[in-house]
Amino acid sequence: MPVVELSYSRLQKLLGKVSKKQISESLPFLGLDIESEDKDLVRVEYSPNRPDYSTDLGIALGLQGLFGIRSGAVKLNIKKSTDYAINVEQSVAKIRPFVTGIIAKNGRIDDYTIKQLMAMQEDLHFGIGRKRKKSSIGIHDLDKISFPLTYTTTKRDHKFIPLNSDHELTISDILVNTDVGRDYGAILGNSLQVPLILDSKKQTISFPPIINAATTTVTTKTKNLFVEVTGINKDDVEDMLSVVATILQTAGFTLVSTKITGAKNTSPKLESKKILINSGLINQMLGLNLTTTQIISSLKKSRLDASLKGKNIVCTIPSYRFDIFGPMDLVEEVSLGYGIQNLEPILSPSQTLGQTNPISIKLKSLSLTMIGLGYTEALNSSLTSKRVLYEMTNRKPINMISVLDSKSQEHTILRDSILPELLENLSRNIHTSYPQKLFETGTVFSQGNPISETTSFAGISAHQDATFTEIKSILQSALKTGFNLDTETKTFSHSIFEEGRTASVLVNGKIIGIIGEINSKTIENYKIRVPVVGFEISLSGLIFD
Amino acid sequence: MSQVFHEIEKKIIISLKDNTKQTPEQLEKSTHLSPDQIRRGIEWLKLKELAIVNESQIITLSLGKNGLESFHKGLPERKLLDLLKNESKKLSDLQRELGTVFGPAMGLARKNNWVDTSEDKIFLKNHPSELPGEKTLKQIGENKIPKSEIDIDDLSNILKRPDFVIEDIIKTKEISLTENAKSIEITAGSSGAIDVESKVPDVFVARTHPLKDTIDEIREIFVTLGFTEIIGNMTQPCFWNFDALFTPQDHSARELQDTFYLDGISAKNIGTIEQIKKISETHKKSWRYYWDINEAKKMVLRTHTTCVTIKHLAENKPDEARVFSLGRVFRNEKVSYKHLVEFNQIEGVVVGKNATLRDLMGIQREFYKRIGITKIKFWPTFFPYTEPSLQTMVYNDRLEKWVELFGMGIFRPEVTKPLGITKPVLAWGGGIERIAMLKYGLDDVREFYSNNLSWLRSARKCQ
Repeated sequence: MPVVELSYSRLQKLLGKVSKKQISESLPFLGLDIESEDKDLVRVEYSPNRPDYSTDLGIALGLQGLFGIRSGAVKLNIKKSTDYAINVEQSVAKIRPFVTGIIAKNGRIDDYTIKQLMAMQEDLHFGIGRKRKKSSIGIHDLDKISFPLTYTTTKRDHKFIPLNSDHELTISDILVNTDVGRDYGAILGNSLQVPLILDSKKQTISFPPIINAATTTVTTKTKNLFVEVTGINKDDVEDMLSVVATILQTAGFTLVSTKITGAKNTSPKLESKKILINSGLINQMLGLNLTTTQIISSLKKSRLDASLKGKNIVCTIPSYRFDIFGPMDLVEEVSLGYGIQNLEPILSPSQTLGQTNPISIKLKSLSLTMIGLGYTEALNSSLTSKRVLYEMTNRKPINMISVLDSKSQEHTILRDSILPELLENLSRNIHTSYPQKLFETGTVFSQGNPISETTSFAGISAHQDATFTEIKSILQSALKTGFNLDTETKTFSHSIFEEGRTASVLVNGKIIGIIGEINSKTIENYKIRVPVVGFEISLSGLIFD
Repeated sequence: MSQVFHEIEKKIIISLKDNTKQTPEQLEKSTHLSPDQIRRGIEWLKLKELAIVNESQIITLSLGKNGLESFHKGLPERKLLDLLKNESKKLSDLQRELGTVFGPAMGLARKNNWVDTSEDKIFLKNHPSELPGEKTLKQIGENKIPKSEIDIDDLSNILKRPDFVIEDIIKTKEISLTENAKSIEITAGSSGAIDVESKVPDVFVARTHPLKDTIDEIREIFVTLGFTEIIGNMTQPCFWNFDALFTPQDHSARELQDTFYLDGISAKNIGTIEQIKKISETHKKSWRYYWDINEAKKMVLRTHTTCVTIKHLAENKPDEARVFSLGRVFRNEKVSYKHLVEFNQIEGVVVGKNATLRDLMGIQREFYKRIGITKIKFWPTFFPYTEPSLQTMVYNDRLEKWVELFGMGIFRPEVTKPLGITKPVLAWGGGIERIAMLKYGLDDVREFYSNNLSWLRSARKCQ
């Protein structure tokens, strides 16, 4: 989950008379988890579905609602203008078809604001922008740009001075020699033509979705901003723009519209949408009995607008709240506005009778039998390694099921057997007193259609006098006592066991597993100094399906 | 202090009363016990402060090859004197008869004024009955003799001759009784009494795994709350793990770096034609992207057990139900004291026309109460497949802070509607290791899977 750093004193300036304690106690009720606190600074985790919480300005809007300082939806006041036009050329359709933008004037930009805007931009890129693939933002100094702009494409030998550089680079250079180029270049694939925004003086403004030009860099001297968003879907670029527009207006900028034409592009509307709900659904879902007035007031506290229309409530949702899909999302907004802390848990009697799964019951019974026989229960990972499963026990790795890109070397292969892991357990306990007797029941995996998962049962005994007879007696007693099954063993050969001291295990004439004295090479591999005997059988098909 | 003695101890004490200082070997003979019994008996008595063990070393002497030859046939100088006993002899004749030892023997005889020379003949001047060194030689003979019993002056005459005398250092123990022990009255025969106060060795009970105990406890709580347990596969197609739960295909949780994909394995059948059609339509409409069925067929290790319950609900479409699923789930994480790649999760649902968010909170509160957690609160949160969504925070007295436990919510219509589920579904779930860590007071979650026998043998059964 993304994290944003907030300053209590700045939030207090934005909110008015609210104490630090009130703020810190209320943040979780906006869905913000406090990660760490250090004097005036607090770091909170926010949900990726609320990109407006990527700045303190957006969080302040939410807190205003909870504290009742300001409620209802934030309205975007966008001055109509025809001065800021972007013409879109047909060539972008194949590579990054949509652009949108807005002008923000007369704001005050200090270092803190720049930092917050940059952090917001990064979070938007990562989250709803899907690492800039779906949509990406460029924020520019308006006064360095001559309108109208052209959103077009260019070849990879096109040159301009990119952000944070003092000399011209070609598109190809940028893609190979800069961090952003390397990180996001793949979005453009092998296309010969790449997207570009030029101004009326043929000056490069931006190379989306990679980097802006150096000329339009925003500094603390910047007064007016131009924000552009490009992407592969018209709704997505406008969603992203609405978040930025809302935050900039909250920061004190005056918004002015842009005029966008060409290649199926149109000017952004950033309009709110309306959803109709009835109080019945809300009360039924929350288990409350709220009046329509209470519901409307709760929605307003969640910074939405609502009014009564006949028996229904019409809810108006500002464009930046595109996380709201339908009535159930409004149920949540009501619960947040009403206050989760005001919901009293209730325990209704169950209409159903509970039942433990028969498999769980049988495994439990087998466990208790093994405990009675003096065996301690072990617990190992199903996802383990080639070393443990095969190399240390000289088993042949055939039909392994492996996972992709594991972050841990010890967890790369799904186990097809439990016994190797129990042997590994013994190797980690060689300085603990003997006898050591372990068992485990659990899932093992094998290639199938697509994969078969069965329950396996393995046991192991290690001490100076461990013998085949001992382990056969144990397995025989466990199956007889637990499930009234008679066990037979037949001479067999298996690489995990010593030749001549290996048998297959049969119940009702069917082979269900293996048993024997562990191969001396394996014991040596693990530096175990006592003889080890063990067995492994499949329970699936034996005591349950 | 207890005055009960083992038979071995009794025999040693009695023997030492007669003969106050003995080596272990001597004790073996006097008590007719085995070396091992003597060793153990001495250890016990030492621990009880009834016996003193003095360790000392003795130097013994024995004869080497040349020493033994001289013992049997006489010293070279003795041989020389014997040859001259009856007559004087020529030097060359003596040389021939005595061989290589003639030189040193002649030197000694001259130095001690036993012989003299006249013209070319050597004659006896003096014939002592015992030559220097002969006493020592006789004393040692073929035995080993403590050096302390030997006349050091006499020894010095032969000590430096090559291969004559061998010195050995032998370490010995001498056992005697302490003053306390001397006054102990040992009654002969066995009274049958044993030392009931002495410490005994630990034995270890075989036991179920502590984490399994917690799992069983949780299972039982939900069964008694009216829930039925269902079991499902750990390997799942993305379709049930993600798509059916309204998680878009380009969501970061679906990336390789968070989820384990099985190498080269895709499911053949993932759901009914209708399920696939409706779920893909919901995704396209809500998330505006190209929904790829091949992506949905990829097999993953389940990231939660919710895939098991949602599939169960899609297949059974109950109007009224309480089910739960309990089992292993997987995340592609770096293993650390707080993260495992594989852990256990409990996850349950309530289906019912009157199911409400407050009921969901009530079930959580009751569950926590039954595992002994009473200080809880609820905070809003976000999950892709529930709306509203909450998380439980519980107060950990040991850490003195609130920690996050189960997440919960009401399944979104985007989840239930495409699968034909018409009644509200309350859902919750969370990791079991976290609860077990609270119960066992562990700070490192890896402990549960290390199978460290000392821990398994010592963890208390009741927490």
